[in-house]
Amino acid sequence: MANAKEMKEVLFGPVFANNPIALQVLGICSALAVTSSLKNALIMSLALTVVTAFSSLFISLIRNHIPSSVRIIVQMTIIASLVIVVDQTLQAFVYATAKELTVFVGLIITNCIVMGRAEAYAMKSPPLMSFLDGIGNGLGYSVVLLTIGFVRELFGAGALFGVEILPLVADGGWYQPMGLLIMPFSSFFLVGFFIWVLRTYKKDQVEAKA
Amino acid sequence: MSSNNETIGKTLGVVVGLCLVCAIVVSFAAVQLRPLQQANKIEDVQRNILAAAGFKDVENVAQKYNEIIDARVVDMKSGEFVDTDPNSFDFTMTKFDAERSFALPKEDDLAGVLRMTHESPVYLAKNSNGQVESVILPVQGYGLWGIMYGFIALELDTKTVKAINFYQHGETAGLGGEIQNPKWTATWEGKQLPIDIVKGTAGDDIHKVDGLSGATLTSNGVDNTFKFWTSDKAFGPFLAKVREGALN
Repeated sequence: MANAKEMKEVLFGPVFANNPIALQVLGICSALAVTSSLKNALIMSLALTVVTAFSSLFISLIRNHIPSSVRIIVQMTIIASLVIVVDQTLQAFVYATAKELTVFVGLIITNCIVMGRAEAYAMKSPPLMSFLDGIGNGLGYSVVLLTIGFVRELFGAGALFGVEILPLVADGGWYQPMGLLIMPFSSFFLVGFFIWVLRTYKKDQVEAKA
Repeated sequence: MSSNNETIGKTLGVVVGLCLVCAIVVSFAAVQLRPLQQANKIEDVQRNILAAAGFKDVENVAQKYNEIIDARVVDMKSGEFVDTDPNSFDFTMTKFDAERSFALPKEDDLAGVLRMTHESPVYLAKNSNGQVESVILPVQGYGLWGIMYGFIALELDTKTVKAINFYQHGETAGLGGEIQNPKWTATWEGKQLPIDIVKGTAGDDIHKVDGLSGATLTSNGVDNTFKFWTSDKAFGPFLAKVREGALN
């Protein structure tokens, strides 16, 4: 049975030591698309964490009954159902944000983190641990998204959560926003910097030279 | 995993059972949440119409809307009011309904909308005495990445812009997305048709508006949208009727 130390490792390991975006390089696409503002990044992180946690939980619950010939389809069905539920919930309760996130919530279905954790962990592990693993990976994803969202919104739009921090030149202030950061591809650089910083501190993540 | 999972019976059983459970969960969520979602959608449109009428950050949207907005439907060709239910229009979908819309010939399709409806809702904003103060027209047009949806409010002379408001678009956040910036939309207020979008030289010219820097194509799209919907191909006949005093 899982002890507290193991649980802690499963839960917090993916935040820095085994980050799904920075080390496993999964789920990059949505990290680029929804991080232009911190609010969108936060909602997207929550949505993904919920989906990963519960899909891992349900898959783990029935893992001993899933025929391996159709296991990917079974996983997809569970993930897709959860994503639809999350999407519907967002549209019902935070309509304005749901409108901005549009297709990206639906695309959680194809987010490699969810599928990757289901296949790599939940298929072999008991439900509670799988659930924690899902939350842990969701947290890892969130850390990267929120970091990028923070940088992009602060320096790209001079605001955080839509509240003006750096008064823009256009509004009579002094800050000339960096247009580059508003464009989705700037996230590539930021993810790159994130990985660079992470690997400077955690040298074991650096791949051996060929 | 035990090997008896691999029989055809077990495989079918698991898949069918799972699909049933998932279908029930998804349908339950969709049905339970639908009223909330629809209320959100209607409120969203109403809020945007109110914003175009000059009421921003309204607390009770539905109440204010019922108080000051009169939704009507006009026939685009004749410009006359017709009895169609204004709520039967969906600004994204109705133009694909073959019976209610037609394909625009390419040379007419300035705004890049491909099709338009034979009839369209218009919204009349009343002042506190119940007199119509402005007409609000639903517009749409192609920007850089996709169709932008909005409302333009004109005063009764049908020349003076009261407000413009885009509520849905796929333009680049921070560049073309600035069409939603209140500081930019405010530059339209009081301008008079015909309006051209220019690069930084508009000044106090009542027929010119400055485009958005870094978003030339989006600005062109707004320019075209504006020109198209106020032209004879679109709301022109209705606006002519308004000038003749159809609302007084």
